[in-house]
Amino acid sequence: MNQLIIGALLLLVLALPPVRHLLESIMIVHMHMQMPLLVVAGFLTAKYMQEKLPGFFKKWNRNGLPGILLFVIIMVYWTLPRTMDEALTVPAVEIFKYVSLPFLAGVPLRDSWKKLSVSGKNTVFTGFTMLFFGMGWLYIKSPEQLCNNYLLVEQLTLGWGFVTMAVCMVVYLVYKALVDPSEYE
Amino acid sequence: MSTPLQALKKKTNEALGIRPEDAVLSKSYLLVAFAALLIGGILGLLQGLNRAGLLDLPHWFNYYQVLTAHGLLLVLVLTAFFTIGYFYAALSHTLGGLLPKVRKLAWVGFGLKMAGFVLAVIPILMNKATVLYTFYPPMAASPVFYFGLVFIVLGVWMCAFGCFIQVANWRKQNKGKHVPILAYFATGVFVLLFFGSIPVTIEVFMIIPWSLGWVETINVMVARTLFWAFGHTLVNIWYLTAVSAWYVVVPKVIGGRRFSDTLTRVVIFLLVIMNIPGGFHHQIIDPGIAESVKFLHVFMSLAIGLPSLMTAYAMFSVFEKTAKKKGGKGVFGWFKKLPWGDVRFLAPMMAMIAFIPGGAGGIVQSTNQLNQVVHNTMWIVGHFHLTVGMSVVLTFFGISYWLVPYLSKRVLTPKLNKLGVIQTIIWSAGMGLMAIAMHWVGLLGSPRRTSYTTYFDNATALGWDPYLLFLAVGGTLLMIGVILQVYAVVHLMFFAPKGETEFPIAEEEEDAAKTPYWTERWGRIIFVMLLVIAMGYVIPMVEFIVNAPPGSPPFKTW
Ligand code: HEM
Ligand SMILES: [Cu+2]
Repeated sequence: MNQLIIGALLLLVLALPPVRHLLESIMIVHMHMQMPLLVVAGFLTAKYMQEKLPGFFKKWNRNGLPGILLFVIIMVYWTLPRTMDEALTVPAVEIFKYVSLPFLAGVPLRDSWKKLSVSGKNTVFTGFTMLFFGMGWLYIKSPEQLCNNYLLVEQLTLGWGFVTMAVCMVVYLVYKALVDPSEYE
Repeated sequence: MSTPLQALKKKTNEALGIRPEDAVLSKSYLLVAFAALLIGGILGLLQGLNRAGLLDLPHWFNYYQVLTAHGLLLVLVLTAFFTIGYFYAALSHTLGGLLPKVRKLAWVGFGLKMAGFVLAVIPILMNKATVLYTFYPPMAASPVFYFGLVFIVLGVWMCAFGCFIQVANWRKQNKGKHVPILAYFATGVFVLLFFGSIPVTIEVFMIIPWSLGWVETINVMVARTLFWAFGHTLVNIWYLTAVSAWYVVVPKVIGGRRFSDTLTRVVIFLLVIMNIPGGFHHQIIDPGIAESVKFLHVFMSLAIGLPSLMTAYAMFSVFEKTAKKKGGKGVFGWFKKLPWGDVRFLAPMMAMIAFIPGGAGGIVQSTNQLNQVVHNTMWIVGHFHLTVGMSVVLTFFGISYWLVPYLSKRVLTPKLNKLGVIQTIIWSAGMGLMAIAMHWVGLLGSPRRTSYTTYFDNATALGWDPYLLFLAVGGTLLMIGVILQVYAVVHLMFFAPKGETEFPIAEEEEDAAKTPYWTERWGRIIFVMLLVIAMGYVIPMVEFIVNAPPGSPPFKTW
C-alpha cells in the first residue's frame, strides 16, 4: 500500500507541467532521468497489482519471459531519437510515454525479474550494456542533429551518458564475475 | 560461523585491549593530527590578528602563504590523519585485531602521506605554492607541490585497501553476519575516500604537465569541477566520521542504547551514494553550467540534508529515551539528566548543536539566489568554521578523551576530564564568536581570502572593522583551546595513570528489528553510486570540453 502511494505520487509529480518542462528541456535528463523515474513509479505500483490480480500475472507471465520481453521492447522504443521528438510535439505520444513506461515497462519488470533464472538476468543485463554502448556510439558519432528539439551538443552529452553508464554496467558485470557471494553470505 | 579459535581471539582482544602493534599505528596517526592542529591553530591566530588589522605579516611569510598552510594542515592533515587513526583503531577493536598485511599497508600509507606532505610543504614555505588549499588553475604552483599531492593520495589509497581487505577477510570468516557497525562506517568512509580522490588525481595529472611547461594551457572549468568532486566528498568524509561517533559512541557514554541499526546503515550508504555530485554546489556561480542543470543539482545537495535530518531525529530520540529512563521528566526537563560534566559527552553534544545553524547555513548557500549574496565572502569562512571547526573537530576532540587512553592503556582522570570540559567551553565560545562575526561581516560584503585592507579608507570597508576585531578575539580564545587540547592528548598518550579504558560501543535496543542483509551488499551500493556520478557529471563535463574556451596558461598571482 505504501509503495502504491509513493509510486502514484511520483507519477503525479512527474506529470506536473513545471516538472515535465524542466526535465524535458535537457535531452539527457529527459531520457536518463524522467523516463527511468517513470519506470520506477510503475515498479512501485506493481506490488499492489500483483496482490490484486494474482491470476493475471500467473497466467500471462508464468516464467517471466513475456514480461521481460515487453519491458525490453518498450525500453528500446524509448531510446530512439524519433520517439523523444514526437513525445515533445505530439500530445498523444507524450501520454503514451506516461502510460507505457510505468505500466508496460515498470510493472512487468517487477513481476518478471524474480522469475528469471540467473542466466536470464545476466542476458538481459548484458543486452542492455551492449545496447547502451551502441546507442552511445550512435549519438556521439552522428554528425547530424537527430532530434528537432535538441541541439547537437545535447545529443553528444546523451551519447556520453550512455557510454559512461555502460562502463558502470561493465564494472558491475566484472564484479559479479569475480566475486562469489557464497564466500561471504 | 565463527570458529572456536576466532571466538577465543575476540575474547582475548576484549580482555587485553588493543594489540600494541595496532595501538602504535593509531597513536602515530593521532599524533600527526594533533601536531597539525597546533601549527594550523597558530597560523589561524596569525590570520585572525591580520584581518582585525592588528598584525602585518612579513613579506617572507605573507598572508596567503599562511592561509595556504592553515587550510592544508587543518582541512587535509588534521582530518585525514584523525579519521584514519580512529577508524583503524575501530577496525582493530571490532574485527579482532588488524591483519599483519593490513597493518603494513597502513604504515606504507603513513610513510607515503608524510613524504608527500613534506614535498608539498617545502614549496609553500618558499612561497612557490601560494595557491591556497583548493589549488585549482589558473594559479600554478611549483610542480613539486603537485608531486607531494600525488603521494598523499597514494597513501590514502593504501589505507583504503587495507580497510577493504580487513573487512572482506572478516566477512569470509563470519559468513552471513553483519559487519559490526563501526566497521560498516569505516567501509563507507574509505569507499568515499577512494572514489572521491580519483577525480582530484585526474586533476593533478592534468596540472603537472602544465606546471612543468610541457603543455601551454589547461581547461580551467574541468579542473575546478574535478577538484570539487573531491573537495565536497572530503567534507562528507569528516561528517560521516563524526556521525559514526554520534550514533555509536555517544549513546554508550550516556548509558543508553543505539538508534535503529537498519536506519543507521541506510544513512551511511545514502551518504555514500549521493555524495560525490554534491560538489556542484560549490560551483553555483561558475559559468558554463546551464541554470536548469544547476537547479537539478540543488536537489542533489538538499537530498544530503535528508540523512542529516534523520541523524538529528535519531540523536534526540536516543537522548530523550536514555534521560527518561534515568528519571528525567517533561518535554525539556530530561535535558538536565544528560551527563553535561563528562567531556566525552559534552564535546560531541556541542558539536551537534553547532550543526543546527551550520546545516541551516548550508541550505542557504545551496539556494541559487542566496548564494549570490554570500559567495566568496567571509560568510563562507564562518560557515565552514562552524561545520568543520566545530561540528567535526569538537567531535574529534571528544573522541580523543577516550580513544587516546584506550590506545595507550591509560585512564582519563577527573582532573583531565575537567580540563576537557573547560577546553570544550573555550572552544565553543571562541568558534561561536568568530563564526558569527564572519557570517555577519560576510553579509556586509567583506571578501574571504583577502589580507587586511581598507581599500583606501573606503567607508564600506571601514564598516567591517568592528566585526573583524572579533576574529582576533575568537582566534585568541581558540589558541588557548588548541593548547589545552594538545596538552590533553599528549598527557593521555604518555603521562596519565596506567589503567584500562573501554572502547565505548553502544548496544542495540533489546527489541530491535533484524537488519536486512541487503545493506551488506557493497557491490550494488557502489554500482548505484557510480551511476549517480555518471549522471551528475556528464552534462557539465561534455559542455566544458566540447564548447571549451581557449585554455589558460599558468599564472603566478602572488
Ligand atoms: C585555531 C583556530 C582557528 C582560527 C583562529 C581560524 C581562523 C581562520 C581565518 C581568519 C581564516 C581566513 C579567512 C580568509 O581570509 O578567507 C581561516 C581560513 C580557513 N580555516 Fe580556519 N581558523 C581556525 C581553525 C580552523 C579549523 C579547526 C579548521 C578545519 C578543520 C579550519 C579551516 C579553515 C579553512 C579550510 C580555511 C580556508 C582557507 C582558504 O580559504 O583557502 N580553521 N581560518
Ligand atoms: Cu560541499
